[in-house]
Amino acid sequence: MKVVRDRKVVEDAWQLVTDDEAAGDHSIVSLARWNAERDALLAEGKSAGVVIRSGESPDDVEDLERAPLVAVDFPAFTDGRGYSTARLLRSRLGYKGEIRAIGDVMRDEMFLMHRCGIDSFAVKAGKDIEKALTAFDDFSVTYQAAADDERPLFRRVHR
Amino acid sequence: MATPKGTHFVITANFIDSGAPAYRRSDGSWSTSLQEAHPAATEAERDEMLAAASKEESVIADPYPFAVRLEGSAIDPLTAREEIRAKGPTVPIRRPDAAA
Amino acid sequence: MYQYDQYDQQIVEERARQFRGQVQRRIDGEVTENEFKPLRLQNGLYMQLHAYMFRIAIPYGVLSSKQVRKLAHLARSYDRGYGHITTRQNIQFNWPQLEAIPTMLDELASVQMHAIQTSGNCVRNITSDPFAGVAPDELEDPRPYCELLRQWSTFHPEFAFLPRKFKIAVTGTPSQDRAAIRFHDIGVRIVNNEAGERGFEVWAGGGMGRTPFIGQIVRPFVRYNDLLAFVESILRVYNRYGRRDNKFKARIKILVDELGIEEFRRRVEEDFARSTNPALQLERAEVDRVTASFRPPPYEPESSARGDAAALAERTSNDAAFARWRKTNVLSHKVPGYDIVVLSLKHPDIPPGDISDTQLDRVAELADRYSFGEVRTTHTQNMVLTDVRDADLCELYDKLVALDMATPTFRLLGDIIACPGLDYCALANARSIPLSLELAKRFENIDYQEDVGPCSIKISGCINACGHHHVGNIGILGINKNGEEVYQLMLGGHDSDSASIGKILGPALREDQVADAVEKVLSKYLDTRNGADETFLECYRRLGPDPFKEAAYGA
Repeated sequence: MKVVRDRKVVEDAWQLVTDDEAAGDHSIVSLARWNAERDALLAEGKSAGVVIRSGESPDDVEDLERAPLVAVDFPAFTDGRGYSTARLLRSRLGYKGEIRAIGDVMRDEMFLMHRCGIDSFAVKAGKDIEKALTAFDDFSVTYQAAADDERPLFRRVHR
Repeated sequence: MATPKGTHFVITANFIDSGAPAYRRSDGSWSTSLQEAHPAATEAERDEMLAAASKEESVIADPYPFAVRLEGSAIDPLTAREEIRAKGPTVPIRRPDAAA
Repeated sequence: MYQYDQYDQQIVEERARQFRGQVQRRIDGEVTENEFKPLRLQNGLYMQLHAYMFRIAIPYGVLSSKQVRKLAHLARSYDRGYGHITTRQNIQFNWPQLEAIPTMLDELASVQMHAIQTSGNCVRNITSDPFAGVAPDELEDPRPYCELLRQWSTFHPEFAFLPRKFKIAVTGTPSQDRAAIRFHDIGVRIVNNEAGERGFEVWAGGGMGRTPFIGQIVRPFVRYNDLLAFVESILRVYNRYGRRDNKFKARIKILVDELGIEEFRRRVEEDFARSTNPALQLERAEVDRVTASFRPPPYEPESSARGDAAALAERTSNDAAFARWRKTNVLSHKVPGYDIVVLSLKHPDIPPGDISDTQLDRVAELADRYSFGEVRTTHTQNMVLTDVRDADLCELYDKLVALDMATPTFRLLGDIIACPGLDYCALANARSIPLSLELAKRFENIDYQEDVGPCSIKISGCINACGHHHVGNIGILGINKNGEEVYQLMLGGHDSDSASIGKILGPALREDQVADAVEKVLSKYLDTRNGADETFLECYRRLGPDPFKEAAYGA
């Protein structure tokens, strides 16, 4: 997948696979499939990740800490459930791996996604992924606690 | 009282610079005046104009068709909504300043 | 009022810059209208029938005179010389150009104002009691909590794409709620528990629109420090479980209704219990910092504030118009010698809530001269000077008369609330303003209005209910029937403590029938009330709709 990560455009081996397809190394599988097959998916040093769709709950991912990558799907950029999913993964469940935004991912939402704990962004086709790098500079100050910094502004600076 | 039946269709949208109502002329350009709109006589022509309009994202936004009736060369918009769009608000705009 | 520090200032400036970039990308064609639309909505920019409409935030209704002057300047320079006060205490401009918006935002930022989240599926303006801080019946000033909630909700990254808009209101009075908390997505009431500890009663699931609901209490007592954490849990439950399949079923009120309050509470409490983040706790230093901005102004001693009491009494007895205005538009203040003065934006010739640039400039002067440089907006589309000395009432009144802002109808029939309706709004099905003007004219006689007593008329031009018609004592909804504008009349709505949703009285009426129907309803009230002290609402609740229906529709 071609993604923005750490303010750079990188290409990596992760691929989304459907439940019907064979899952090779670096496959991202559905939540149901992860729960059923994770031992096999991770066997022999393989890497596997899980995708959480917008109606699904991060609480339902078994052995979450064994997944090096969790993809959070944004089926439409106006479907904001992925923001809560990412926040819960990072802040409540203490997930330490990579959280990746997939789906209807565009520059103007990336700052917010990043604040919710998302590390990498599979910018959608047809959008300029290089230009999306500027997204992280949208704001230099934020008010509230979020996954990127669980302190509200008044605990970060003297007001 | 049912809406009077239209005889033609007009394609309208909003200009993205001003938000003002835009009406599609026969040459594909956009006017602020309903009376300059090209009245499409058939549903096929209407759909063709609408499809063309949907590509003009740099000038207008949210094109849609509405039925009109031709009274001679004058275009009657039929509904209160399109009448108000064409003519402006029916209520006072800005209270006049009191005499000094 | 709250004073921005460097961080608040930076946020509004960066937002203005961000939107400038987004506008440029729209003009350059890099983002489509569909992609731009949620972004411009989050900056309060709508596409309406004739033009863009720009909604500027007035947090919990508080403005400084400097800000009022800026609004006058914006109206003059970038619009058609007027603005409109909304039913959420904000102000709208109806004719700006897209290209001007970034400049307007820069200008607003220069006076600590913005248009952040005044539209879109996000947390909107936190509204409150227009008499906050000065009302005699107040337990505690709600404004600091509104400001804390404002900051918490501004660009909250988790809640920028909710299923639908989200409105929060906060009140600080034990009763006589003037913020309509029962009709908000979240309503907050400042309370003491039995042990005398300060906390919050938190409601959720109220709303108007297509399916009106009175809110329900989620928790009767939320500990003081838990306010933000608890509110965040409600938002999270809504974000995760609110319906996204149908725009008209997407508000939290539907979720509360469909889950039932018990299940809804269970989910909120579960999220809250797991929310162990201490950072969400209200911290004393921060609360004190914010509260400090709302410290009372330098009130004069009573004798000085009262001024020439004899002259005031004399004017009151000799000048009937002044006496009338003093009775309706001047309200008790908690500080002796001071008054709360309503600046009426209602007039039989002017759309309710509209204010010209000239009037705005004059209001700024009045605020400076008579009310410590501050003025408020109300959700009933008026303005308020909250700290006027008795000594200044006569002089202020004369100036308000010259400005057409002394219509003595606060809370009476003439105090009509109307949305912009089909004259302006792309969502509307019918016009509301012409009807409001007709009704204002029909009931212009102040003696009649005083006789009828408190009676709210609220008019909406479509089911979205921005005119709050569901909670009017007399509510009117404009609908489209076969291309014609017709109106549903409903009675018995009320947005305060004993909240009720109005009930449709009978078949829809043509526009030319509405005023007669309303007059007949009022006549029936005058004929059947239990003495002049029984209000219209009380009478309706006692008798039920039938006598009024017969009066309005009968032979």
